[in-house]
Amino acid sequence: MNNKRIMQKILLYIAVIVLLIYIISPFLWLIIMSISSSTDLSTKPLNWLPKKIDLSSYKELLHMGKNTHGESFLFGLRNSFITAITTVFISLLVTFPAAWVFSRYPNKRNIILKIAIVTFMLPPVAYALPIYKTLSTIGWLDNSFALAFVYCTLVMPFCAWLTKENMDAIPFELEESAIIDGAGLFTRLFKIVLPLMMPAIGTVALLALLMSWDEYFYAMLFTNSNNAITLPVVIANLASGRQANYGLIATGGVIAAAPPVIIGLLLQKSLISGLTAGGVKG
Amino acid sequence: MEEDISNKYSILIAPMVFIMLTVIGWPLIRTILMSFTNEGLMNLDPVKIVGIENYTNAFQNKDFLSSLKISGIFAFAVVTSEMILGTTVGLLVNQPFKGQKIVRALLIVPWALPTVVNAMMWKLIYNPEYGALNSMLYQMNIIPNYVSWLSTPSKTLGAIIFADVWKNFSLVSMIVLASLQSIPGHQIEAAKIDGANAIQRFRYVTLPHILPSLQVALVLRIIEAVKVFDIIYIMTKGGPANKTRSGTIFIYQEAFTNSRLGSGATYAVLLVFFILIIIMIYMKLLKKKDN
Repeated sequence: MNNKRIMQKILLYIAVIVLLIYIISPFLWLIIMSISSSTDLSTKPLNWLPKKIDLSSYKELLHMGKNTHGESFLFGLRNSFITAITTVFISLLVTFPAAWVFSRYPNKRNIILKIAIVTFMLPPVAYALPIYKTLSTIGWLDNSFALAFVYCTLVMPFCAWLTKENMDAIPFELEESAIIDGAGLFTRLFKIVLPLMMPAIGTVALLALLMSWDEYFYAMLFTNSNNAITLPVVIANLASGRQANYGLIATGGVIAAAPPVIIGLLLQKSLISGLTAGGVKG
Repeated sequence: MEEDISNKYSILIAPMVFIMLTVIGWPLIRTILMSFTNEGLMNLDPVKIVGIENYTNAFQNKDFLSSLKISGIFAFAVVTSEMILGTTVGLLVNQPFKGQKIVRALLIVPWALPTVVNAMMWKLIYNPEYGALNSMLYQMNIIPNYVSWLSTPSKTLGAIIFADVWKNFSLVSMIVLASLQSIPGHQIEAAKIDGANAIQRFRYVTLPHILPSLQVALVLRIIEAVKVFDIIYIMTKGGPANKTRSGTIFIYQEAFTNSRLGSGATYAVLLVFFILIIIMIYMKLLKKKDN
């Protein structure tokens, strides 16, 4: 019995170690590449650990200079922030009141929410063609705000659905007693429901932020210069270019991955429960 | 009376409906209209209505059908692997061991990595000359020569599937773990007292409890996997020899590389149609099980 116990423990630890190696080695290797010199990265077979730490790729990418990799990378970083924050702002602004109605006064119009969820499942390529035509006709291609507006296709149904599911958990009685005290619509929405919804809305906002930060397809189609090009497009361009500076590509990846990875490590629990809260019921 | 109060609030939905009609409803309708024309990417020639010509062409186009097949194979392979691996890992990290907190926290890293970064990272790892995979397998004497993972037609799709599974199994495992932690301890104890062995405890206590969460994970993953574009496009652009060209990449090339929006729209409509069928089959299966 005791021997069996020990065997089980050993097997458990072997499995955990294998899992740990599987999870971290690819990303760890990306980080090592980003601080290796190009000579270390182009020997055969590889130098697994760099002879000395070389931060020149970071300097190159974070340095603003005319027509350099640094220029497009820094513009990409800025545009990604602008686009993601605008998207989340628009989405929350319009879905919060809508979710309140869907949650508090459910009736036939809740079909709108169902339709929104179905559109969430369709491929972006189903909307992309006419959107491209329209943006190019009115001269809105290569514009961060137009891109943010387009991102609403991805983010808004998701926000509306999650906000509504979370709001269902807040008792309506709180509002009813406020109505008796003469509270108007504004008070109910922003003074009673909103404060209680803050943690949930925070989670929804973060998930929406990660979705926009991650988006590649629309950004690749609708942007083409430093005006609006986003980080995923900059990185994809780096990776598909003929230049073989692997350290530079890896560095771009590490910097782009840093915000979501840090957010994820800090807030894993609430992100995952936020993501599944609505789904388990619906 | 109740109805009156309720209708008064419809105005609060209006902004959302307006934006959804502008960026979702109207483009979808225009895509359908476009699919009956020969519209091009630039406004060079006047647009002509061609009726169902695009559709008859689409059904005869072997390339399109094979791209749908590739999407299907990809979705099936990644979703199955991610569900199995994710559930196994969720069960594993639910066991007590030293360092449990750190391992659980690190689970989010693959999922948090942006898709583009993941694709680019694996492209570097698979690099035929200086990639880490070749170097490692060669030094361990597993392969005698370096392999071109992303330009050997028989290996490419598998290599991309491996990269996608690495990123997305972690979402499944975190969802499973969260659900496992909400199983009341006394249920498992009771099953133990009743003499249930580990397999029976899993089958009759654990599995029914995590099933709803597994369904959420499954739906989230299927939705993503059938519309795959980014990871394949960045790693191979659909090559070599179109062996990894998914449905979405095929449509993109038709519309934007060949500048044929009209027939691109036709393929998009057909793809949407197939996805809706998948969703409907899934809903039917769910309903059946509830009864």
